[in-house]
Amino acid sequence: MDILSSYSFIIVMLGTLVLAVACACIGSISVFKGQSLIGDAIGHATFPGVVLAFMIFGVLDSAYLIIGAIVFGILAFHLIQKITDHSKVTLDSALALILSGFFGLGLVLKSYVQGHPNFNGSQGIDDFIFGQAAYMLRSDVYLIIAAAVVSLLLFYVFYQPIKIYIFDQTFSQTLGIKQSLMNGLVLIMTISLIAVGLKAVGAILIVNLLIAPTVIGRLWCTSYPYVLALGMIVAGISAFIGTYLSTAFVGIATGPAIILVLSCALLISLIVAPSGPIKALINKRRVGNQL
Amino acid sequence: MFDYAIETQDLTVAYQGKIAIENINLKLKRASRTAIVGPNGAGKSTLIKAILSLEKRVTGQVSIEGDDSKKARQKIAYVPQKGDVNWDFPTTVLDVVIMGRYSHMGWFKRPSKEDKDIALNALKAMKMIKFKDRQISQLSGGQRQRVFLARAMAEEADIYIMDEPLQGIDIKTEALIMETIKNLQEKGKTFLIVHHNISTVPDYFDHVIMLNQTIQASGSVNDVLTEGNIKNTYYEMSDE
Repeated sequence: MDILSSYSFIIVMLGTLVLAVACACIGSISVFKGQSLIGDAIGHATFPGVVLAFMIFGVLDSAYLIIGAIVFGILAFHLIQKITDHSKVTLDSALALILSGFFGLGLVLKSYVQGHPNFNGSQGIDDFIFGQAAYMLRSDVYLIIAAAVVSLLLFYVFYQPIKIYIFDQTFSQTLGIKQSLMNGLVLIMTISLIAVGLKAVGAILIVNLLIAPTVIGRLWCTSYPYVLALGMIVAGISAFIGTYLSTAFVGIATGPAIILVLSCALLISLIVAPSGPIKALINKRRVGNQL
Repeated sequence: MFDYAIETQDLTVAYQGKIAIENINLKLKRASRTAIVGPNGAGKSTLIKAILSLEKRVTGQVSIEGDDSKKARQKIAYVPQKGDVNWDFPTTVLDVVIMGRYSHMGWFKRPSKEDKDIALNALKAMKMIKFKDRQISQLSGGQRQRVFLARAMAEEADIYIMDEPLQGIDIKTEALIMETIKNLQEKGKTFLIVHHNISTVPDYFDHVIMLNQTIQASGSVNDVLTEGNIKNTYYEMSDE
């Protein structure tokens, strides 16, 4: 059977590819701001939102569950801000607290729902932890495309202020760039991509799509547009290969396969890229030998 | 028409209930070159950040060219201390200077040919043109400072506020920066600069503000920079 032309492959591949490309672009902001793990905390924190939305609406329809994911993502983000602003708890501790606390809440709610006769059809809820791309529907792909187009469009329109905000935040304030607008923009773009991507790659792994492409791009390129372009290309190719592998070999989950391909690309980049740690070590040796 | 480039009235800023600067009343003439001097912790950076609205003030007013709205702060070009920026960000020297053109760019904030030319001219003036395609992270301290000055020049502002621009740079760069500042002053630009070396104040500035939480003395360098005032500013402990 020809995998490349099968309907389910095209649906899953399209969804994960668009998601990976958009995440590569938007994730670069928090990577360069040194706040990558905020995406991880938000990713985990969306899970109780998904379960609660299921409890309220009673259906496992992505369109409803995404609302819960977004609400809880925003809630987690604001709690992290409040904790770091008003106490001596550092950012990494606050992230760990929120990440595990929210995810624990999600697991408790999930086991309650699954053991309760009042909630029918709750089996699929586990899919939102690790993702279950094989069950993606056409409507899920539409949601991903909508979120990707909106966030990429926002990124394009606000490219210049975003760049200045990442590079020199104080300077951006003196130019009259509203910090609340920038923070809100980054938050909305990140959370909406996480929310639509939950079914494809899950709450735990999605952070990889946000971080890894930029890290790879940074190893090869020295200007922001090139870092973005390379990251987006590598992410897209990884989504394609990952989906292909999971379709060709029974029993390999799509989300983890994509993350694995992306991680291989990162590993290769670390070894051969011009500014990677291994090249740096070799150059150091070479200079040492000349002395 | 406004009388002063920068005017503050009873400006007070506090951090967590502790007063950093108190009752600052300033009047900065246009086309003047003013140094802010004072010991560590005197509130020098706090004062300029309060003028730029980067710090919330407890009381008081700031007006820029007679305008006290927050928008007026955009008439100021600010050169921060070195440590404030994200050095890992992949960007070139020219790119950084073009950022100074932000307020002049149109709706979609894409730099025009003119923006690029102005940025290149600013780099020329700071003798950094041959580094224009270099990564910002690869520059030395003095070179970085020159890039930030070029970025401020590209803003084409009337007022320049700088936080210790001469800290930790070589003598050649120091001379170049001060020469550029004097040239811009002749074109009517106003400068307010936090300065750490009191012995060079008479050479580099025409006005001085001596600060230690409150203004100890301020006025033209010849009138104010006296032994007694220096002693008051640097050695008298403020009553805590």
